[in-house]
Amino acid sequence: MPDVAIQIEKLTRRFGGLTAVDAVDLQVAAGQFFGFLGPNGAGKSTTIKMLTGLLAPTSGRMQLLGLDFATHSIEVKRQIGVVPEGMGLFERLTGSEYLHFVGQMYGLDRVTTRRRSEELLEFMQLSDRPKTVIADYSHGMQKKLALAAAVIHGPRILFLDEPFEGVDALAAGALKELLGRMTERGVTIFLTSHVLEIVERLCSHVAIIDKGRLVAQGSLEELRAGIAGEAGSKTTLEEIFLSIVGQGGAQRPQLEELSWLT
Amino acid sequence: MADVVLLPGLLRQIQLVAGLRWRILRNRLRKKNNRMDLIGLIFSGVFGALMVLGLSVAFCFGAHTFLSTGRAGWMALLFWIIFIWWQLFPVFVAGFGTSFEFRTLLRFPLSLGAFYLIGLAYGLADFSAIAALCWLLAMTIGATIAMPDVLPAMLLLCGLFVLMNVTLERLIGSWLERLLARRRSREIFLAIFVLMMVSVQFISPMVQRYGKVAQPWIGRMLPYLAPFPPSLAGGAIAGAAGHHVGELFLGAAGVLVYVLLFSGLLWLRFASQYAGEELAETAAPARALVRHASAAGDQPDTLSRLAPQVAAVLRKEFRYLTRNGFAFLTLLLPPLLVLLFSSQMKMVGSSGRFRTPSPDLFFPGMMAYLVLILMAPAYNAFAYEGRGVQTYFTAPLPFRNVFLGKNLMLVSVLVFEILLSMAVLAFRVGLPSTPRFVATLAAIVFTVVGQLVIANWSSLSFPRKLEFGQMRGQRQSGMAVLVAFAAQIVLGAISTTILFAGGWTGNRWLPAEIFAFLAAAAVGGYFASLDALTALAEKKKESLIEALCR
Repeated sequence: MPDVAIQIEKLTRRFGGLTAVDAVDLQVAAGQFFGFLGPNGAGKSTTIKMLTGLLAPTSGRMQLLGLDFATHSIEVKRQIGVVPEGMGLFERLTGSEYLHFVGQMYGLDRVTTRRRSEELLEFMQLSDRPKTVIADYSHGMQKKLALAAAVIHGPRILFLDEPFEGVDALAAGALKELLGRMTERGVTIFLTSHVLEIVERLCSHVAIIDKGRLVAQGSLEELRAGIAGEAGSKTTLEEIFLSIVGQGGAQRPQLEELSWLT
Repeated sequence: MADVVLLPGLLRQIQLVAGLRWRILRNRLRKKNNRMDLIGLIFSGVFGALMVLGLSVAFCFGAHTFLSTGRAGWMALLFWIIFIWWQLFPVFVAGFGTSFEFRTLLRFPLSLGAFYLIGLAYGLADFSAIAALCWLLAMTIGATIAMPDVLPAMLLLCGLFVLMNVTLERLIGSWLERLLARRRSREIFLAIFVLMMVSVQFISPMVQRYGKVAQPWIGRMLPYLAPFPPSLAGGAIAGAAGHHVGELFLGAAGVLVYVLLFSGLLWLRFASQYAGEELAETAAPARALVRHASAAGDQPDTLSRLAPQVAAVLRKEFRYLTRNGFAFLTLLLPPLLVLLFSSQMKMVGSSGRFRTPSPDLFFPGMMAYLVLILMAPAYNAFAYEGRGVQTYFTAPLPFRNVFLGKNLMLVSVLVFEILLSMAVLAFRVGLPSTPRFVATLAAIVFTVVGQLVIANWSSLSFPRKLEFGQMRGQRQSGMAVLVAFAAQIVLGAISTTILFAGGWTGNRWLPAEIFAFLAAAAVGGYFASLDALTALAEKKKESLIEALCR
C-alpha cells in the first residue's frame, strides 16, 4: 500500500476568466483524516470534484494511491468513495434500492450488496421506512444515505463534502465513530466542513484554501506552532483559520455600519 | 422592540405583491437561457390579446343578439362559457408544479382579513380573470346597446358573478395546492389529467357514433343546471329584460348565496393557512421499526447475463419508469392510439358507411407513429436523473454501460408496446401481407437503433432537467427537439421511400431485404458509437452535471 494516498501537483481549474483552483500542491498520507478548509467560494468543492472525476482540471496532475487519475480513472474510482456536493442521490429510488444500485455499480455481487445495504441502513437508522423514496427523506436522512452509499464498496479513500451538514447530533456521533474506525483500518478521509469544531476533533491534518490558493497545510500542531510563533496563544482551529484566512479579522464585515441593529 | 411603527396599508400591500410578481417574471426573463422564453412570452401575449379581443367582440355580439331578438334566456350560455373558462383555465395553467407560493407572504405582519383580500386581488391578476372581465364588460356593452334598461341589472349581476368566480377560483386553487403538495398525489393527479386529455380524443368518434342517441338525454339534463350560478345570472338578466323584478332579484340573490358560501369556505381555508397549516412533503419519522427482510439478493439474477453495471442501470430505469406517472402513461398510450386511429380511419372512409383501412398501409403507418412517440424521451435520456447523474461519473464504469442499460430499457418497452399494439391492430384492422410485415419489423429495428445513436448524442449535448409529476416548465431543450425532429424526418423519409420501392419495382420482398441490411448496419453502427459516446460523455460531463443538478 502506498504511503501517499493523494498527491496533487499544480492542480488548476479555470472557469472562463475565474481561476477557482490555482496551482494547488497537496499531499495526503494514507490513513490520514484530512480536513480541507476554506471560506465560501474558496475552491474546496471544485478541488473535490476534480479529485473524484466530476470535473476535469485545466492543468496539473493528480495521483490517488499511486495511480494517475488521467490515465487510470476507472481503477482510481474503484478505490474511492464520494459524498459529493448535493449528495448525488437518485431521488426516486428507496434507500435500499439506491444502495443496491450503487453496490452493483461498484461491481459488488448481489449477496454482498444486500448484506452490506442492510447493515448500513440499520447503522444509519434508515431501515424503518423501506418503501419510502429518497425524495421523501429529510435532508439529514439523505445525507446519511449518501454516506452509506459512499462506503458500501469499502473504499480506501473517502471524499466527503460537508458530511455533517443537516445531520442531527445523534447521527453525527455515530458517523464520527464510523469514520474514526475507518481511519484506524487505514482508510484515508478527505473532508470539507464549515464546522471547525468537528474538523478539529476529527482531523489530524488540515489544509486551508483561500481564493483558489493553498495558504496553509500541515498537522494541527504544526499549524498551531506556526500561528503561536507569530501572534501568541492562538490555539483553536477557528482562531487559526481566522488568523490565516481572515488575517486577524481584516476580511470580516464591519459591524459599525449596522449601529441601528447593535 | 422591532422598529415597525406603522404597518403598510392594504392597498400598499397589494401593490407590493403585484410588484413582487412582476420582478419575479422580469428576473426570470433576464437569464440568458430564457431568451427563448421571452420570445415565447411575446408570441403568447400577442396571441392571448388577440384571442381576448376577438372573443370580446363575440360576447358583445352574442349579448346584443340574444336581447334584441327576444332570447334573453340564452344569456346564461354566455355566463356558462365565462364560468367554465375562469375555473378550468387556471387549473391547466397551474400545471401541478410549485410556483411562487402566495402563502409565503404569511411571514410578514398581515392580518387574516388583509391576507384574504390580498388573496382575492391576487386571483384577479390572473390572465383567466382579466380575460373574463373583458368578456363580461363586452357582454354589458352589447346588452346595453340592445336594451339600455338592463344596464343596472347587468352591472349588479356581473359584479356578483366576478366576486363569485374569483372566490371559487381561489378556493379551488387552495384545495389544489393542498392536494398537490404531496409528491405522490401530484403524480397521480397528473396521470389522471393526461388520461383525461387523451380521452378527449375519443369524443369525436363517440359523438359521431352515439350523438343522436345522447341528444335527448342532454336535453333532459339542462333544467338541472338552473340552480348553478351562470344559469342564475342568465335567468336574472332575462328577468330584467322582461321587466320581471322577482326573477331578477331571485337570480341575483341566488348568485349572492354562492358568493357567501364560497367566501365562507375560502375564509376557512385561508384561516387554516394563516394558522400555519403544514403541507410539507417529508413524512414524519416512523415510530415503529418495521423490518422487511428481503431475500431478493439470494435468488438467481434474471439479468445475470448482463454486466452488473448494465443490469443496475436497467433495474433503476425500470423503477423510475414505474414511479413516473407521466412516463408510465406512455405504456398505455400506444394501444389506445391504435384503437383511436383505427376507429377514426373507419369513420373517415365511411361517408355514412364504415370501411376498414388497408392493413398494408395502416400497419407500417401506425408503427412509425408509435416509434415516433416512444423514442421521444430518448433524446433527453438523463432528464429525470437529477443529482444522481454524478454517480455515473464517480462510479468505476465506462459510460457505455450507462447507455447500454438505458437503451436496453427503452428497447424492452418498445418491444412490449409494439407487440401489444400489433395485437390490437390484428384485432381491429388485421395484419398486413407477410413481405410488408417483415419489412416493417426490419424498418422498426433500423429506425429505432439508428435513432438511439443520435438520441444518445443529443442526451449528452442538450440535457435538460425534468421533474416527476410536474407540467410547469417541463420542456425539453429546443435543440434536442430539433435534433429529434430532423432525425425522425430523415429516417421516416428513407423508410417510406424504401417501403414503396417494392411497389415500384414489382419485387414485394425488396423493402424487407433493404431494411434487413440497414438494420444490421444500424446495429453495428450503434455498438461502434458507444466508445465515441463514452469519450463525449467525459468531455460533456460538466455541462451535463450542471444542467441536471440545478
